[in-house]
This record gives sequence, C-alpha cells and structure tokens, in this order.
Amino acid sequence: MRWATRRGCHVDRASCAWLIRRFIDRDAEFVFVDDPDEVPPDATPFDMLGAALSHHEGGCSFETFLSRYRLADPALVQIGRIIHEADLADEQYDAPEAVGLDVLVRGLSMTLDDHAVLEVTGPLFDGLYAFKQRARMLGREPA
Amino acid sequence: MDGRLRWVLLAYRLPREPSTPRIGVWRQLRRLGVGQIADGVVALPLEARTREQFDWLAQDVIDHGGEATVWLAEPGSAADARALAGAMAASVALEYRRLIAEAAAQAGASEASHRRTVGRLRRELRRIGSRDYFPSEITRRAHAAVEALGQTIEEAAS
Repeated sequence: MRWATRRGCHVDRASCAWLIRRFIDRDAEFVFVDDPDEVPPDATPFDMLGAALSHHEGGCSFETFLSRYRLADPALVQIGRIIHEADLADEQYDAPEAVGLDVLVRGLSMTLDDHAVLEVTGPLFDGLYAFKQRARMLGREPA
Repeated sequence: MDGRLRWVLLAYRLPREPSTPRIGVWRQLRRLGVGQIADGVVALPLEARTREQFDWLAQDVIDHGGEATVWLAEPGSAADARALAGAMAASVALEYRRLIAEAAAQAGASEASHRRTVGRLRRELRRIGSRDYFPSEITRRAHAAVEALGQTIEEAAS
C-alpha cells in the first residue's frame, strides 16, 4: 500500500511510518508531498491537515493511529505519550524522553532526506519499543 | 529584527459556546507565544515547526465547529513587523523578569528548597524559551540567573 505525508519528516511522521511498517503494512511505500492536493489518489494520507489519520482531539497522529487500528499494546501507548510530548509539548503527559527524541529526529531531518530519515529512525523506534516492553515486564525501567 | 522575516498566520473563528474549546485554543496560543494581529488573527515567525503548530490548531478549531485558515505572509511594512515582534518580545520579557525575581528570592533558602526551585526554574526557562522567538538581553540574564542559582548548589555540595 502507498502512504503519503508531508515532506520534512519530524518525530510524529517518522514514528507513524515506523508504526505502519511494523504493525499495519509491512510493505508500506511512502510518498512525500508539499500540499494535501498532491497526495496520489491511491495513497492514504497521514499527519496532514484534513486527513483522518492526523492530529485529532488534541492528540498527535501517532495516537490517532493507535486508536484507529486498535493497537492497545501498553508499550505502544507509552511511546504514544512520548511522541505526543515531543510533537506538542503541551505537558499533558510526563515524558522526559520527549525532548531528546525530538531534538535527535529534528537534527536528522536537517542532514538526511525523508526516505533516509525513515530508514535511520526505524531501528531507533524498534529500540524504544523493546525498551518500553522490557520496562513493562520488569515493572520498572531497565537499569 | 529583520523586517523581511516571513510569518505564518492563523485566522480563526470559534463559536462562543461551548467555552471549553475556546479556552483550549486560547491556552495553546498562549503556550506558543503568538503575536496578535487582529481579533482572530495571530502570527508566528515562519519555521517548519510554527507552521505545523498552526495547522494542528486550525484542525482543532474546525473539529470544534469553527473556521480556520493558515497563511504564509510577508509584512507590508517593516515597522508593522517590528511592532508585532516587539509586542511578542515584551510579553516574553515579562515572564523572564518574573523568573529572575524568583531566582533572586531564593538567596538564603535551605539547600533542599534551593534544589527544588532550581529544577522548577530550569523547566520554566525551557518553557519560556520555546516561545522566545526574538532572544534579547533579558533572555541572557534569565539564563544567567538560573545558572548562578545552580552554581551555588554545586558549591554547597563540594
């Protein structure tokens, strides 16, 4: 399936792409556009103004994906809170990881093109997911 | 300030009732530190992030039955742009002054209270910094005040 989002991927779009590839559509292909009008007819838009899979009810796009696709894995919900704070910084959640994650991904978006940003951030989110799953198992953050 | 700086504008209108979404939008605008151009028209210097924030706010307004559009703009006159930036800087400066006063009020406090205050002021500094689009002398002074407070803890510990 083809998925479309805005050019210049930051943390919310990069994490959504990871979520799509890992939990929704293993063979996902990503297209980057400047304007919602440029979304190819066969592509599903996300994290764009007017898209169903975007910010809604004060939540970020990653959180919208979780509820739309009924992904209730607590580790994913935790990551959703981190992405929310990294993207919106409205202090709805306590997510100290958010500031660092946001800076790292924003920095990557300055040195890499969008496809490369997704390639690099994929393993980063794999790691974050593994960490949150392990924390869940231990009942505390791994030391 | 550079008079040729580009801006992103959000023009919005929300129904008077219910008031909860209105308050939510107002709170977001405050957090972003927007400049007010007219009733229902606010501005931020154009950057990837500020534009995105307005896109989401517009979506929020529309989701709550209002109208909102986002525009990229250049000021018609450098003086108007300076006045807008000046008003934004003045509002941030007020926050910094309050923070500097709080840091000064810590002189002579116990070490435990000192530590708590430094942590809180650092977070507050970061919050204000996120809407400080035109850093000035007061920005530097606020950082220096909090930094100095942190130093006194280190000295007490060593």
